[in-house]
Amino acid sequence: MTETTSSEWTGTIDQVILGATKEEGGTRSCSYRIGGESDLPLLGTVPAGIRQPLIAFELCDDLHAWPQIVRHYVGDVADDPAAWSALAGKEYGADLIRLYLTSTHKRGFSDFNAVGTTVADVLRATSLPIIIEGSNEPDIDSEVFQSCGEAGQGERLLLGTAEASRYRSIAAAALAYGHSVVAQSPIDINLAKQLNILLRETGLPHDRIVIDPYTGALGYGFEYTYSVMERIRFAALKGDSDLAMPMICSAFDSLNVKEVRDAEPDLRDDAAVQWEFAAALAAAVAGSEIVCVRHPKTIPLLKEALSALNSGVRRAGGESP
Amino acid sequence: MTMKALDIYKILPKKNCKECGDPTCLTFAMKLSQGKADPALCPYLDDNAKSVLGASTRPPIRLVKIGVGERNIVVGEEFVFFRHEKTFVHQPGILFRVEDTQPEDEIRRIVREVKNETFTRVGIDLRIDGVAIGNTSGSPEAFGKAVEIVESEADLPLVLKAASVAALDAALVHCGSYAPLIHAGDPGNVPEFAQRALKHGCPIAVRPKEFSGLAALIKQCTDAGVQDIVIDLVPADLGDFLAKSTRVRKEALARTAPEYAYPVFLETRDLGKADAGTYLGILKFASVIVTDPLSPAQKRAALTLRQNIYTDPQKPIQMTPGIYRVGNPTKDSPLLMTVNFSLTYFTLQGYLEATRIPCYLLLVDTEGLSVLTAVASGKLSEMLVRDSLKKFDVENLVSHRDLIIPGYASPLSGRIEDATGWHVLVGPRDAAEIGDYLDNLGKQ
Amino acid sequence: MIPVEAAKNQGGKALGESVKTLSGSISYEETAYHLPLAFALTGTPVHTADEARTIYAKTQDNPIIAVEAIVASRETHAAPDPQFTGFIEDAVIRKLGYSLVDGSILGLALVVGTPDNRDSVASICRELQEKFMLTFLAGDVIPALSSAGIKVGLDYRLIPLGPAPDSSIHFADILARVAMMFGGVTPGDAGRLLAYAAERAKAFVIAFPGLRDEDISFIDAFRVLGVPIIAVGEYSGEGWIQSPAQDAVRTGMDLKGIKVNVTAIPIPMACSPAFEGKSIRKEEMYVEFGGGRSPAFELLRMKNLDEVTDGKVTVVGPEIGDLKEGSAVPLAILIDVAGKNMRKDYEPVLERRIHNFVNYGEGTWHVAQRDLIWVRISKEAVEKGVKIEHVGKLLASKFRMDFPQLLDAVEVTLVTDAARVTELKKEAEAIYEERDARVRGMRDKDVDTYYSCTLCQTFAPNHVCIITPERLALCGAISWLDGKIAYEISPSGANQPVEKGKEIDALRGEFEGVNRFVKKASHGEVERCSLYSVMEVPMTCCGCFEAIALMLPEVNGIMVVNREFKGMTPSGMTFSTLAGTIGGGAQTPGFAGISKGFVLSDRFLQGDGGIERLVWMPAQLKEELGERLKKKLAERGLPDLFDKIADETNATTIDELLAVLTEKNHPALTMKSLL
Repeated sequence: MTETTSSEWTGTIDQVILGATKEEGGTRSCSYRIGGESDLPLLGTVPAGIRQPLIAFELCDDLHAWPQIVRHYVGDVADDPAAWSALAGKEYGADLIRLYLTSTHKRGFSDFNAVGTTVADVLRATSLPIIIEGSNEPDIDSEVFQSCGEAGQGERLLLGTAEASRYRSIAAAALAYGHSVVAQSPIDINLAKQLNILLRETGLPHDRIVIDPYTGALGYGFEYTYSVMERIRFAALKGDSDLAMPMICSAFDSLNVKEVRDAEPDLRDDAAVQWEFAAALAAAVAGSEIVCVRHPKTIPLLKEALSALNSGVRRAGGESP
Repeated sequence: MTMKALDIYKILPKKNCKECGDPTCLTFAMKLSQGKADPALCPYLDDNAKSVLGASTRPPIRLVKIGVGERNIVVGEEFVFFRHEKTFVHQPGILFRVEDTQPEDEIRRIVREVKNETFTRVGIDLRIDGVAIGNTSGSPEAFGKAVEIVESEADLPLVLKAASVAALDAALVHCGSYAPLIHAGDPGNVPEFAQRALKHGCPIAVRPKEFSGLAALIKQCTDAGVQDIVIDLVPADLGDFLAKSTRVRKEALARTAPEYAYPVFLETRDLGKADAGTYLGILKFASVIVTDPLSPAQKRAALTLRQNIYTDPQKPIQMTPGIYRVGNPTKDSPLLMTVNFSLTYFTLQGYLEATRIPCYLLLVDTEGLSVLTAVASGKLSEMLVRDSLKKFDVENLVSHRDLIIPGYASPLSGRIEDATGWHVLVGPRDAAEIGDYLDNLGKQ
Repeated sequence: MIPVEAAKNQGGKALGESVKTLSGSISYEETAYHLPLAFALTGTPVHTADEARTIYAKTQDNPIIAVEAIVASRETHAAPDPQFTGFIEDAVIRKLGYSLVDGSILGLALVVGTPDNRDSVASICRELQEKFMLTFLAGDVIPALSSAGIKVGLDYRLIPLGPAPDSSIHFADILARVAMMFGGVTPGDAGRLLAYAAERAKAFVIAFPGLRDEDISFIDAFRVLGVPIIAVGEYSGEGWIQSPAQDAVRTGMDLKGIKVNVTAIPIPMACSPAFEGKSIRKEEMYVEFGGGRSPAFELLRMKNLDEVTDGKVTVVGPEIGDLKEGSAVPLAILIDVAGKNMRKDYEPVLERRIHNFVNYGEGTWHVAQRDLIWVRISKEAVEKGVKIEHVGKLLASKFRMDFPQLLDAVEVTLVTDAARVTELKKEAEAIYEERDARVRGMRDKDVDTYYSCTLCQTFAPNHVCIITPERLALCGAISWLDGKIAYEISPSGANQPVEKGKEIDALRGEFEGVNRFVKKASHGEVERCSLYSVMEVPMTCCGCFEAIALMLPEVNGIMVVNREFKGMTPSGMTFSTLAGTIGGGAQTPGFAGISKGFVLSDRFLQGDGGIERLVWMPAQLKEELGERLKKKLAERGLPDLFDKIADETNATTIDELLAVLTEKNHPALTMKSLL
């Protein structure tokens, strides 16, 4: 069979900065630098200052399509995205907040001022760097991303999610207000590459892109994502600069799967946590620099595991991981 | 270096004698190039061919079997680093650990769980594969007793974690003829342990004090005549296991170091956490994973992860063609048709369940191809739909004659109507829109 | 006629005088870019009159620098007039730039001067609004618009900069700030600023009469930013394009390549791929064309841009209203297309889309192609008001929607007049024949560029197909022309150009450029590739090949087996066993995945001794290729070879094959050894 592993890596993953501290022009308590690898995930040496994989806690501003199990576990605070974000930082231990503006997914949505207000509120409530997920309807993309981008100006947000058929508004917001972009493709390495090229053609620099390969839940297509991630990372290390970006994974369907829904009520949280944990851990092993979860209890497990996984990674300059 | 089939063919006798079991030397050469045949099968190889082929065509990782009977564990003979290069071949065996210090009923409970509990996904029964017994007490008698209890409860592959030769002997009395894995030959005991392995025909795990001691330990085994070896990498933590296992797989595939040409053994206790350790082992080349019993949630996740990672990427899992129900459909419920690619089914089913509209799903046999591929290749045809409707007696299932087909199958809509007499409705291309689609349909 | 050159000189002098008299501070609030144009061009912040004078001198008396300082000084010292915006703050510019990047605004226009009549400027501004342009106004155009009842302001995308023409300097400082904010242009990097403005900022000026020399001087300097000046007033100068008012907007947009995208199809019929398979039965149709009952054909032709009126649809002959239900009517579908990137070669590829597009219509149905078409319009559609012209509108819209980069204009003529259709059909048939001859004659050696295809890389990470005029992709679905047009439409897509480079081996078809490409695409796994050989470094395979060509050393020949054949072959392996081994991106000497059509190519087996090597193929494939293969073999002086090729009816094992080939005296037996 063909040999495919090689110690002749010629490529390095771009470094993307998330969040901006006061010195950097923002109001975050810290900023993160991800990427920078020149070897397979969690092996070899990374530049000083890199911190990964990061754990993002996902929450939303409208629970209508959110997994019920989260609401059950979290309680009423889920109705207040700002308070929930604060909790996620202080209690859950997340590294980042990923705010889904699910209110914009409702048919006929047009309250764009509210979008800006929500983003501003969340930015005030938590000092963690933030990922903002905007509309999923192309017709309102322009206004929604403009509001998000403006509200977060200077904070180096990560804005989501660009796809091949709709990326202009999100690229515009990133360019206008200094943010980065999540670029999603349907589990296909060539489409991932194409989208990165299209984004760069808008003028977006290559170190403001994070690749989202679209993550199927464990047992529901996860292995497709896992393999496409390994392929993307391999191609990048072999010198393909159009794929040399950090990756983000969110197996967001995990809490909706049959195995979780059908579990005994007192075992349901465990089922949910393990389903998310396994996928997130595997995604990190495949190279994802940001892994996302929705159940608060997943975070401590993941934190511990990711820290242990990093034990072999050397930092340039002898810094401890 | 793997050789190309053509180059292998050139050094074969080219007699087409069929004595190797293949009809032609060409066929044999192709199998050899994939590591799927043994050069020894050919009685007419000259010495040059023997040495060239021996080195280059044996599988890079030895095949090792643990246990006997239908639940035995078979691992090894892997030939890729990334599953996407071709496929992983033998999924890791996962074994739950019991201690000889545990009360008998506790041991029995765990063994029964391993023996009886299955978790079915996509028509395949997923199970934990065996039991490892730990000689925590240090006592040979206690160890022997514990093994006896396990053996009396079930016929399962075993891992014997004996602390001494005496303990090992006590255990082998009860299970020696069932090919348990002996764990582990270490610098202090390897001659004796190897001798037991040879005598009973058991595979043996080797565990050096440090990773660098692996080669020497293996040589001691092979010198003693034991070939069925698995290697314990003595990992310090998750990151350390990742690094070592990566190195072992790389070197095995490159055939640069004979000590790496064996399946990898992993004890999750070395890594601290049973769940994270098991998941990482599955992802990164462990072939035998011994773990403290997992919780129901951890077990299901592990078994599903294993199934996913070890699925052949080129042979996606198929659903059995036929009728599937979402909720409790009645004669008036909508009927949707799609392909039997498991991912299509799961995706669609997930969205359908979220709509809470009861309906029937007819999966037709496109041999696992997705909608797009099946339409493009002609596998999804009006004849197939017609035959499926008949085969699964769909006419008696619903009182209406409306068939909803996937959006990408729209080019077939007219032909399906003509061939079946049913009225065809073209659904959305994206499964995510099925909820809105059915809602609108309901309103009409 | 005002000569621009002379006006520039006079104006420049006047500006210089004004610059001398500037005093005090010159500063805009709410901008991080100081005086943006001075900052962008020189990298120096300017906040006082003295600094302005220094920079003016440093830039060799650049009129843009002068006017910026003059206007800034005026605005700094005077109270703002609420009717006008004056300098616009960064925050608003950011929003505008955002709209430019995200496509909600297509470009920027400046309308400046004193219009002769208010209606001409009103209609210009309305047209700009309709075409999603953002318009800046300076001078008397503003009161002219107000008196015509046109509302101005940011919300209307008509921005009143100031009462004097020199307020249009803000148009330029906005361009400069957009370049610095979005284009990554470093202040002081004048070269990059000019490049960015010329390429990215789609902007033009419409100049009415009434400009002073000073105004002409600095507006002329806009040309350096790639901004054309459409002269509605009588100005003559290089880069000032004379145009009547009613053509001004179109001229400007054409010059900067600004195209309005077609997003809707204006017909009373639903249109979607969901209707593609829907057929219209005899009982359901109102009228049908072709299908044997009447003559009908379709033809797509490339024309020059000035010969095609975008969106125009003409019906020549009877319309629906003139036709009785159930009639069979002649039809000619003539699609005329024009575009900067359009090529004559693409005509047949685009023409094939007529079939899909017509079928997207809920009430329309189309079968076949060229002069074999059969089209129906349903009764239901006619009841809803669908006419023959609507079919034309559907086609015109879909072609523009689906090929925005390729086609700038699409015009459709539908002829239903019997005599005319017959006449035109003869011409069409000549064109079809000409095209066929062209494709038949296309040779690999005639082109320097082949095309790659990575569509199936999902299943075979290292695989890439190289498609040449004489070698179809191994899936059989993509030709060299298909690859070429796909690349033109999606330059970052699955089909990329492959420079042939130097020829290494003509017989086997090995080329330096191809090798380089393959090596990169396979991440170093495959270093060389022969396009015409099975034995030596053949192309890699994915898994979707139509057939496999493989060596049979015992008979010194090469056999072919296709996917549909389920039985055993003389190699001792079935198609499916072979496919499992050679697929997945492997390069397997002695084995090659091919399309069925490639068997008919002159290049097939060229590197292995030629078609004489072909010893076996399934009977059904032999029949499928039958006539064409016989013809090919006869052409090559091998009329008897066809019957010597064995199949499963006379040989299923290697021994049987050897016997049959010996009996028939197959040339492969006596050729040079394959190995």
